[in-house]
Amino acid sequence: MTELLDVLRTLFTDPFGLIDLPIRQWITDAIGWIVSNFRGFFRTYVSPPVRGVMELSQWALRTLPPGVMLIAVFVIAWRAASWKVGLFSAVAFAFIGFMGVWDALIVTLSLVITAVLFSVVIGLPLGIISSRSDLFYTIIRPILDIMQTTPPFVYLVPAVMLFSIGNVPGLIATIIFAMPPIIRLTNLGIRQVQTQYIEAALAFGSSPREILWKVQLPLAMPTVMAGLNQTIMLSLSMVVIAAIIGAGGLGLEVYAGLERLNIGQAFVGGIGIVLLAMVLDRITQGLGERGPGGRNGKAD
Amino acid sequence: MIRVEDISKIFGADPETALGRLREGGTKAGIQAETGQIVGIDRASFALDPGEVFCIMGLSGSGKSTLIRCINRIIEPTAGRILFMDPELGEQDVTAMDGEQLRRLRTYHMSMVFQHFALFPHRTVHANAVFGLEIQGRDKAERDRVGAQVLEMVGLGAWGKAYPSELSGGMQQRVGLARALATQAKVLLMDEPFSALDPLIKVNMQQELVRIQQELERTILFITHDLDEAMRIGDRIAIMEEGRIVQIGTPEEILVNPRTDYVANFVEHADPTAVITAGTIAVPFSEATFILHEERAGLRYYRRRDDGEDGDIRYCIDADGRFHHVVLGERAVEPGRMDTTAPAATGASVRGRNEEVLRCGPATVLRDVLRARVRSRHPVVVTGEDDRFEGIIDEPALVHAILEKRGQPTTEPPVSGDAREAHA
Ligand SMILES: Nc1ncnc2c1ncn2[C@@H]1O[C@H](COP(=O)(O)OP(=O)(O)O)[C@@H](O)[C@H]1O
Ligand SMILES: [Mg+2]
Repeated sequence: MTELLDVLRTLFTDPFGLIDLPIRQWITDAIGWIVSNFRGFFRTYVSPPVRGVMELSQWALRTLPPGVMLIAVFVIAWRAASWKVGLFSAVAFAFIGFMGVWDALIVTLSLVITAVLFSVVIGLPLGIISSRSDLFYTIIRPILDIMQTTPPFVYLVPAVMLFSIGNVPGLIATIIFAMPPIIRLTNLGIRQVQTQYIEAALAFGSSPREILWKVQLPLAMPTVMAGLNQTIMLSLSMVVIAAIIGAGGLGLEVYAGLERLNIGQAFVGGIGIVLLAMVLDRITQGLGERGPGGRNGKAD
Repeated sequence: MIRVEDISKIFGADPETALGRLREGGTKAGIQAETGQIVGIDRASFALDPGEVFCIMGLSGSGKSTLIRCINRIIEPTAGRILFMDPELGEQDVTAMDGEQLRRLRTYHMSMVFQHFALFPHRTVHANAVFGLEIQGRDKAERDRVGAQVLEMVGLGAWGKAYPSELSGGMQQRVGLARALATQAKVLLMDEPFSALDPLIKVNMQQELVRIQQELERTILFITHDLDEAMRIGDRIAIMEEGRIVQIGTPEEILVNPRTDYVANFVEHADPTAVITAGTIAVPFSEATFILHEERAGLRYYRRRDDGEDGDIRYCIDADGRFHHVVLGERAVEPGRMDTTAPAATGASVRGRNEEVLRCGPATVLRDVLRARVRSRHPVVVTGEDDRFEGIIDEPALVHAILEKRGQPTTEPPVSGDAREAHA
């Protein structure tokens, strides 16, 4: 009888003492297992393409004379959004250059481009599959939730363990962190296409593939673009954090500035990041509004 | 062209049970309350002849959209058979087709027009019109040619580069029609194509469709909830109630002889003048209504029984039963053929009407008879094949036709639902 009372009392005073979940140990073991068994695989098969794309884009951006690049930024932003956005983008880039961190901008931009490219190449097909298979989406959804809600710092440790330090582990962590929105919104965009359009496509004999390419994807475009926008923003924020594990660019300016208590350097890096974020945001938003389905996706 | 045999559609998890209930005589509402399943269509059967415009009519929720979608299997029927007959392909069982055969059927032989147009908003008008041709795999030159041709046909030749959102509702549906015509499919499935349009535009589109149909002779299954529309363009009409087809007939048959109260309610407010024909409303030439007045020189002179001895119109028929002429008082008059294209003489007073006697065929619609009667003060003579005298249309017959929407009281009265139950 007294034993029962004891247990009851502990239930209220110290319930967590009753059970000890060794999650910490499990995860450590799991990561350790992955690292010891797959490190070779990751370093031989995952690193090189990521590094290759990053180096290629960095080389291309560096080779372009800054003046030409400013004009290119203006034209891209103008075509994607409006001449106002074009002007703003060119001025913002020039300002970053005048602050003396042009090279850091190039590095960050190439990291973002690489991370977004991989996120889209992997995320878009996963989004399409999700939209066609409820089972697949049910399985993938909790994984996406975990990927998105895990604090970005948490990715850094296993990334370092697998790829050591530098740009590549930063990129891998970024790709994982930034991919969920493009998957989610591609899935959502396709599922939201009204049945009347699917019926019309079916009635004229379209195959599932024709329906996807001629009807669903074009009509889902504004939503997919919103996903792309989020992916770009997330990858930019992650690329900055990745400076902790040795990624370069504007994030490194901030990180190094903080470490040396050089507030000026940190702020220059910070301003550069904010301006870059605004430019990328305006451009992708412009793309979304201009997307073919955006014309009149809601026509009854 | 198409034969639909006992098609049923149950929306629900356990259609077999619901089908069983239907066979036992269960109603849609009863089955829904009992099994939670919805009866979309309850054993519908009908056949479309080549070149025919067949209308399906019914209240909202009666299963029209479900039925038309079963025919190209955008909705999978639960039971029954659909046959597609084609001079080239022979008879094909649509319900037994696999995915590939079905796609071919939809690509080449059936096309569809939707109530809310369902134009692809990301495609231009031209790209919408040639969508089916793209699926057929036609090259660009041919798509451009046929696209321009069909857009021209629906009066949108100049709009190819516009987007659907830049067009009015009526114009959008013209694009929908062009898209369906472009594939050269012989069967056109149209689900309330004009219901979303303003009344004036709607009438306009109906005339357009009739014109195009005369030119192209497609077989059209046309759904509507508007009886006047069905009567205007349908060769035959099927009326649906709660998933069931309750009556099939020509517009006139349905108007004159509605089989149930539901149908009678539908036709109550219909405009009879475009549907009811002279043959139906005429006082028929028979023993009961006419009497031989005299026989002279091989010709027989009849007068209306009701007119009595002093009736001053006599109808003269020759030995072969052909209509010959009319005698007004002492004067013989050769009846003139009705000119149905002449405008109604709106200003004519009763006294201003002339002495001519008019004659028409049994298929002439009531509207044209009325128009002619404004000019002439005498009954209209109805003659059939070989000039056979079929009867006359006098004023009481006209009034009766308009008010009662049916022929002479001597024709069989319609069987109402109540009456049937009373008999049973
Ligand atoms: N996908 C569906 N699931 C369940 N019930 C449906 C579905 N589609 C139609 N129905 C039901 O079937 C009946 C017929 O609908 P419908 O064919 O759209 O009628 P109509 O076109 O004549 O207005 C209605 O009772 C409707 O609620
Ligand atoms: Mg409907």
